[in-house]
Amino acid sequence: MRLFRLAQLTFPGLIVGFIAGVLAGGLAAVVGQPTGWALVSALTLGVPLALLGAGYTMLLVQGRVRLGGFAPAALYWLIGFPLARLLHEVLTRFILTGEAALPAEWLGFLAYQGIVSAGFAIGFLWLHERIAPPYWQRLAVHNPDARGVYLKYAEHARIMFEAKQRRRAAIGRKTSSSRKG
Amino acid sequence: MADSHNPQVVVAGEEERVWRAGGLEPMPIRPLPEAPPSIHLLGPTVFLVALGVGMGESYMWPRLVLVFGPEIRWLFLIGVTLQAVVMLEMARYAMATGESIFSGAARVFKPLMWFFFVTAILVYIWPGHLSAGASAFEEITGIPWVVTACVALILVGILFSLASVIYDLLENVLAILIGVLVVGTAVIASIVGSWADLASTLGGMFAFGYLPSEMFSSSWFPIVVGSIAFAGPSGMQQMWYTLHLRESGAGMGAHVPKIRGLRSAKEQGEIPSHGYMFDTDDPAEMAKWRGWRKWVTFDAFLLFWGITMLVTISFTVLAQSAARENPNVKGLIEGGDRSAALEAMSDAFASAGGPVLGSLFFGFIALIGLNATLGLFDSFSRGQADMTYNHIPGAKRFRLSHLYAGFLWGVITFGILILLFGPADGPSGILDILAFLSSFAMGAYCVTLLLVNNTMLPKPIRPKWWSNVIIGFGAVFYLGMLFYSLFRFGVVLD
Repeated sequence: MRLFRLAQLTFPGLIVGFIAGVLAGGLAAVVGQPTGWALVSALTLGVPLALLGAGYTMLLVQGRVRLGGFAPAALYWLIGFPLARLLHEVLTRFILTGEAALPAEWLGFLAYQGIVSAGFAIGFLWLHERIAPPYWQRLAVHNPDARGVYLKYAEHARIMFEAKQRRRAAIGRKTSSSRKG
Repeated sequence: MADSHNPQVVVAGEEERVWRAGGLEPMPIRPLPEAPPSIHLLGPTVFLVALGVGMGESYMWPRLVLVFGPEIRWLFLIGVTLQAVVMLEMARYAMATGESIFSGAARVFKPLMWFFFVTAILVYIWPGHLSAGASAFEEITGIPWVVTACVALILVGILFSLASVIYDLLENVLAILIGVLVVGTAVIASIVGSWADLASTLGGMFAFGYLPSEMFSSSWFPIVVGSIAFAGPSGMQQMWYTLHLRESGAGMGAHVPKIRGLRSAKEQGEIPSHGYMFDTDDPAEMAKWRGWRKWVTFDAFLLFWGITMLVTISFTVLAQSAARENPNVKGLIEGGDRSAALEAMSDAFASAGGPVLGSLFFGFIALIGLNATLGLFDSFSRGQADMTYNHIPGAKRFRLSHLYAGFLWGVITFGILILLFGPADGPSGILDILAFLSSFAMGAYCVTLLLVNNTMLPKPIRPKWWSNVIIGFGAVFYLGMLFYSLFRFGVVLD
């Protein structure tokens, strides 16, 4: 039960990763492409990205990464995105042709995927920040873990707000003392 | 506020302090709300991104890269950076007063505002902008584009009429659509692109001073300069951004009620006929102001600048790989037949990554079209309703929600009639005039910004000298290039 509740929490990352990955497969179904092809492409990219997305949410829930920060998300996907794409390439080729091989010039491939990951991270974070807080708020009624993480969000907002207030007060004091001087 | 830098502030008896700007009603002094405590509250920039990331980013710039090489991209860097500074300056007036830039223009000189009112109607009532997205949808589903465009128009109208608070609904819808666009373009670029494509695209952004001689011809000059001018938001889109800032409650916009949909128009709060000003002599208020400036600067540079760059770089990488796959693509793109070029690019992706990838490419073009249409209809109606309500005598008999709905359904009805019976882009005889007005409006808003921000705001919150220099450069650039192209080559910017 506890495991189920935890899994429930990671839904935002899971769904964003999955949507990004299966876009290709979903569109194929609309235009009536061979179902097998669409399914393979969708699943070999969609499942790894969904699992990695859920992993990011889990890190967030456990307080291992900063709420709403861009740098941790960019670092996470710098490693995660090339891995997911490597799996996608290798598995798709293996399932469709039966041969197991790495992409040609695999080091250059990974470096390129690493750079593109920054763009993916912006989009991922953008969607995650839209979906996650209201989702956890709704879940909070019957899931204590969700309540915890939602309160953490609220607390984070309060702390940042108070820090700003203190800084502002300090600036105010400095300005008025320099005026007196 | 101190009289030394603020002679126009008066204390009316014991009652209310006001800020007098121009000939219109004075603005009462009210407290400035706190800036959002954290950067992960996404702001109204989603509208600007939705409007700005259009055909320029997904088609025109990739086309120029294929014709002139990646080095041409330094001009794009200049164009988008200039637009980011314009965005910051538009936000200055809107956040300080809660008024739109149109009201600011009316405070300086009323005919200036009427110029923008008329230009908006002339330029934006033609439904031609729907054709790119709807045609892409036709490629995927086979449904004729005129049918899709008409259905989309009616759905947009119903959606905005039923929503209780239009802004909140639209911000959420657009944010999700743009998020999907960004992760999607990143995934596609990762599948079809290569290290070499990316390196040349990025390197080209810093090839400052590269101006190929072929550029200076009557066929290419208007296209290149037009693409710089229209990099990011073009025409009047930046001016509408001030209305979205107000609606999102940014800065003094918090004191003005939001526009409601037709269904809940009765709950519409009373809209004041003037904005508000905060006490710029109070250090605590000025600290809050700096918080708001930081918030909007983050929006301008990471979200607006970053996402516009990402989408263009992704699409340029796509065009390069398509041209490599199929040499015909290069010829078609250079030739300028947009639909043939997009189809050839889609085919190239289909042969590289399977049929799905070809359809997916069209899916993204359709998505970009949908974003732009949603943003455009809302912005147009919002801008015209704002000017009508505040500046046409007797218009206050109506609620602002009703005026908004009137303009929205007016432009939708006209759009459907034109799609069914007329030329979608406007009568061919006036196409040049419309293109002229669209670029002229950009030069005009730079001049308006300089006048409004430097004469209608209290001194402590006026722009810095370097910001004025950049906006001044924008005015000279947009107007200068427009007239140079007109007199040297006899054509308006494309």
